Amino acid sequence: MRSRILQMAALVSVLAGGCGPKTTNIDIVNDDGKSVMALDYRDFDKAASEMIQSMVSSGALKKQGGGRYVVATGRIVNDTMQRIDTDQLMAKIEEELLNSGQAVMTSAVGSGTDKLIHETRELRDSEEFDQNTIAKRNTLIAPDLTISGKIFQRNLAYDKKRQQVEYYFQLKLSDATSGLRYWQKESLIGKRGSNKSVAW
Amino acid sequence: MKSLIILCVTLMLFGVGCGPKSADQRVHVRSGLSGSSLGNNIVTKPIRGVFEWLAGAGIVVDEAVMNRNNSAGLPQLFITGHNTSSKTKRFRYKVEWLDADGLVIGTRASVWQPMSAMGKSGFQIKSVSPRPEAVNFRMDTRKWE
Repeated sequence: MRSRILQMAALVSVLAGGCGPKTTNIDIVNDDGKSVMALDYRDFDKAASEMIQSMVSSGALKKQGGGRYVVATGRIVNDTMQRIDTDQLMAKIEEELLNSGQAVMTSAVGSGTDKLIHETRELRDSEEFDQNTIAKRNTLIAPDLTISGKIFQRNLAYDKKRQQVEYYFQLKLSDATSGLRYWQKESLIGKRGSNKSVAW
Repeated sequence: MKSLIILCVTLMLFGVGCGPKSADQRVHVRSGLSGSSLGNNIVTKPIRGVFEWLAGAGIVVDEAVMNRNNSAGLPQLFITGHNTSSKTKRFRYKVEWLDADGLVIGTRASVWQPMSAMGKSGFQIKSVSPRPEAVNFRMDTRKWE
């Protein structure tokens, strides 16, 4: 009888003890967690930091005669095997461009378009809206500069047990009027790990 | 032989931690990365590996220079240092920018960045503040996980 009770207690403790690892919040300020083969937030932070520092110090955003350039975000191509929202990279860069005081971003065109800007203009004939509160024609500002880029991935066999995955982040800043490119940068993140790890 | 061991132990006790880890108080080189200058000592040279292990040879920061000499006139930092160890040292660093009140300016550029310094070689770190209001900085280091 006693041994039966002990067996039951042991079974209950195993079942109730939780078989899976404990869930914890990540310390995103000082994350010393292991690297993963796929792109994680630390990789985007690193790439964005390099891009921001290079772009703002290049002088490409310094407008002759003062003032700020209007910058639009174009297409950032995701050519990796992962499902990436490229805003993970661009939102950080746009935020710093705005905070640097060197540029203003536009939501009128580009990948960061705010549909409401255009939808509110479609209310010009509506009798439900005070027409004086609706944006007039010729009020949107076209961008001076555009940012576009690409994130791509290369998978290589390193040895029999390991693979090498290379992630390339490429951005370029071009003049919307002349088409001339004023700045560009590539940031590389390389990882080596087990063949069993899946990099997507 | 016994006296040699005593001499080595004495050198070890007095020598460890004497070398400057950072010439600038704003740069914090954490233990495990920092080193002493025992590595090139004539007494310690033949057993450098042991002394490096005992004395913790590694990263030493020689100079930190801050200026605004870039095309955009933004604050930038140049760190010059060297690796006293004979092995490549990999570490991470983070530069935080401070405003006139000494408060940290939160920027997306202040993240842990990887750095690698080859054995017995110098290294340089460059960091640019995206905010013009930065007037000072602080830098921290940690081991490459």
